[in-house]
Amino acid sequence: MKYKQIKLLITALCAVLIYGCTADEFQKTEKRNWQLVWSDEFEAAAGTLPDASRWTFDLGTGQDGWGNQELQNYTNNPANVSHDGTGNLVITAIRSGNSFSSARIKTQGLFSQKYGRIEASLKTPYGPGLWPAFWLLGDNIESVGWPQCGEIDIMELRGQEPNSIAGSLHGPGYSAGNAITKKYTLPNGRFDAAFHLFAVEWDAEKIDFFVDDFLYQRINKTDVPGQWVYDQPFFIIFNVAVGGNYVGFPTSGTPFPQRMTIDYIRVYKESQ
Amino acid sequence: MIKRIFATTRLILFSLGVIMLSTHCERDLADLQPVEFPNNPDVFRDGFSAGLQYAAFGGSVPTAFDVDRNVTYNNSAASMRFEVPDVNDPRGAYAGGAFFTDVGRNLTGYNALTFWAKASQPAEIDILGFGNDFGQSKYLVSVSGLKVNTNWTKYILPIPDPSLLTAERGMFFYSEGPENGRGYTFWIDEVKFEYLGTLAHPAASLFDGQNQNISAENEEVINITGMNFSINLPTGVNQKVNISPYYFRFVSSNPAVASVSETGVIRVLSAGSTTISATLGGNPAAGVVNLTSIGQGIRPPAPAPAPTRPAQDVISMFSNVYTNVPVDTWNTRWQFSTAEESFIKIQNDDVIRYRNLNFVGIEFVSSKINASEMTHFHLNIWTPDPTDPPRSFKVLLVDFGADGAFGGGDDSSHELSFTRPILTTGNWISLNIPLSSFTGLTSRRNLAQLVLSGDLRNVFVDNVYFYKDTSIPTSPATAAPNPSVPPANVISVFSDAYTNIPGTNLNPNWGQATVVSQVAIQGNNTLKYTGLNYQGIQFGSNQNLTGMGFLHLDFWTANSTLLNVYIISPGPVETAFKLTVPTSGWSSIDIPLSAFAPVNLSNVFQMKFDGNGDIFLDNIYFRK
Repeated sequence: MKYKQIKLLITALCAVLIYGCTADEFQKTEKRNWQLVWSDEFEAAAGTLPDASRWTFDLGTGQDGWGNQELQNYTNNPANVSHDGTGNLVITAIRSGNSFSSARIKTQGLFSQKYGRIEASLKTPYGPGLWPAFWLLGDNIESVGWPQCGEIDIMELRGQEPNSIAGSLHGPGYSAGNAITKKYTLPNGRFDAAFHLFAVEWDAEKIDFFVDDFLYQRINKTDVPGQWVYDQPFFIIFNVAVGGNYVGFPTSGTPFPQRMTIDYIRVYKESQ
Repeated sequence: MIKRIFATTRLILFSLGVIMLSTHCERDLADLQPVEFPNNPDVFRDGFSAGLQYAAFGGSVPTAFDVDRNVTYNNSAASMRFEVPDVNDPRGAYAGGAFFTDVGRNLTGYNALTFWAKASQPAEIDILGFGNDFGQSKYLVSVSGLKVNTNWTKYILPIPDPSLLTAERGMFFYSEGPENGRGYTFWIDEVKFEYLGTLAHPAASLFDGQNQNISAENEEVINITGMNFSINLPTGVNQKVNISPYYFRFVSSNPAVASVSETGVIRVLSAGSTTISATLGGNPAAGVVNLTSIGQGIRPPAPAPAPTRPAQDVISMFSNVYTNVPVDTWNTRWQFSTAEESFIKIQNDDVIRYRNLNFVGIEFVSSKINASEMTHFHLNIWTPDPTDPPRSFKVLLVDFGADGAFGGGDDSSHELSFTRPILTTGNWISLNIPLSSFTGLTSRRNLAQLVLSGDLRNVFVDNVYFYKDTSIPTSPATAAPNPSVPPANVISVFSDAYTNIPGTNLNPNWGQATVVSQVAIQGNNTLKYTGLNYQGIQFGSNQNLTGMGFLHLDFWTANSTLLNVYIISPGPVETAFKLTVPTSGWSSIDIPLSAFAPVNLSNVFQMKFDGNGDIFLDNIYFRK
């Protein structure tokens, strides 16, 4: 309770600072010299699958619904994941009776990076039970497992709150319900109604989380209650889950199909 | 952004107006103030907002609405309380009314009406909305079956196109009947218009978003239905509202083939194809009509023969000759029915046209027809289709029984099938159907449905009415024959010729529908049952009939198709004896009492008749 009160006080102080200053160090970082090293602009013919030189698939239902009791079956069917022909990649969650199909694509084994800026411009799906995410996992997941490998969630959203996203870190001793996480809420807008830019800027000391270049969370190495496991390459994942521990079940009122529309993903390194 | 553009446009227009006028005349500029309606968003926050009035709907409990200062949302000063009555509340059948202003409000800056609501029990409010101004209610928006429960919950009703609401007077309305027969209370608070940036994915639709492929003929009139609008709420679920046609802009891609009015009424004009679609706020609505007209279709070359029966002998449902009783619908669109109805004119005579007829329900539930005084059902039909056997046309009448409602165990119905030679192709056919031939239709006091079906896919219908054939006698011309059995050999129940069992009740209340009366025929007292379903007779004292051999009856009926007589001993033990009906003149019968076994003949205390029609009875007695 005491901790909460202090946090509230800090938040209030921050709010004053945000309101009072134009160049606030908490909200805008110093200009850095980012150099593009990897990207996908998703300029491809309508109905085509993601570029196989960049992306691979997680398929099926995983173990225990990918560890979260998720309901969807991931496919590599163009109905679930394909370019729209106008410069976007679309992941579509489809309801068919009581079963759901969707897609989860990743750069594992094809691309990974340590540090830098990773950003994607996308429009989320919406509706109770929808759980879209843009996130990173440590390359060593195969050898050390989760959460020892580390997880950086750049964006995840509960479809029943389409105006809020969360950015999180999961690592050893602070994973799942104990992850370090912060919500960012649009006071009068929604993440499913227009494209928004989600990014992290990550170095040896900290990870900064941005929405539309607004810094809403900084996690320093010293803030982490367990081991800092973010000094190794991470790979990228996009997915749309349906149901699961984080978001709850879809309801009869959840509109389907639901789409996550990704305009681009770009990965930068800071040039020295 | 939209608001700003609009405001700018208005400013330009206003400036232009000023310039033009100032160069042409010397009118005072003060006269040129544009009409500015207030943009007050509040409807009911801590009380009535400025200019707000309330009026109850007709038939509702006038006092259903009141201001509540105790039960309020978030400790506001007051809420609106609505008391829904029980069924059969003498004050009114439901709670309903509208809140409106005399001076319109400019709501163009908002995109939703929001309010908080709770109820004394979980319930579904029949209808809630805004845009009802007790006038044209041009921009009506409503939600049906809104679920409320005992927690305060915020509700959001979207405004489909706010730019239209420049002078809206209908702020809020509601209508709710009892839930499972019982009344309850709901509260609504903090009713206001808002602009919410957290609404997304607007979607408008015609025909509930289903494309319609319609083949039509000239002069057909097709109503666009299923007009609604949905928005995704901040909770991620869609809120659908029913909306007035005036929110849409309808367009026909080929207006020479079919036109569409501003309220969405399509009129087919000539052969060809057209697509009728709509936009709402500039965005296309889902659900378009792809219409192909074959031009002038096959139709009767002349109207049906005009009925000639006197109006006082007719209950008409559809005819230009008579005043018609209200019919709820000529096509109930029951599941699996493919019938499409249209109303056409043949030389100025109104005719109903059915196409793709497999079966069609016709309902007159809200004002049921009592045809108990009628003898026949009439309709004219015309078909271009082949009528060779076994093709048939079927007519089904349904009576909802004494409870006046579908089901309840007291409904009755009967279907009749017609084939060649009654059916012919390309001719007006007059069906004059004696109601007595609908033998399963045990009552015709609460007729509520007519169903037409069969093998004829195209049927034109006219002159649908019930009538009384006055050439059929409705009562005996002569008295029943005089009995000749000596009084000593008789125990009489009803006869002028004998002393009847004293204290006998000829009309005990057993819940029957039959109307009992006594009429004098040639001076002879005769017992009359009108609209028989069943009817008892309670003897003044229990009778020992072991010394008797027969039950004697004289009976007369022109329209009954079923008539049974019973004698009853305590238990009750009763046995039916079927009488032959209808009669030609008076029928006299002596029924051996042995036919009523196992009735205890030493202790008979009641008699009963059941069946249908109008029955005259006389000389009911037991004899040796």
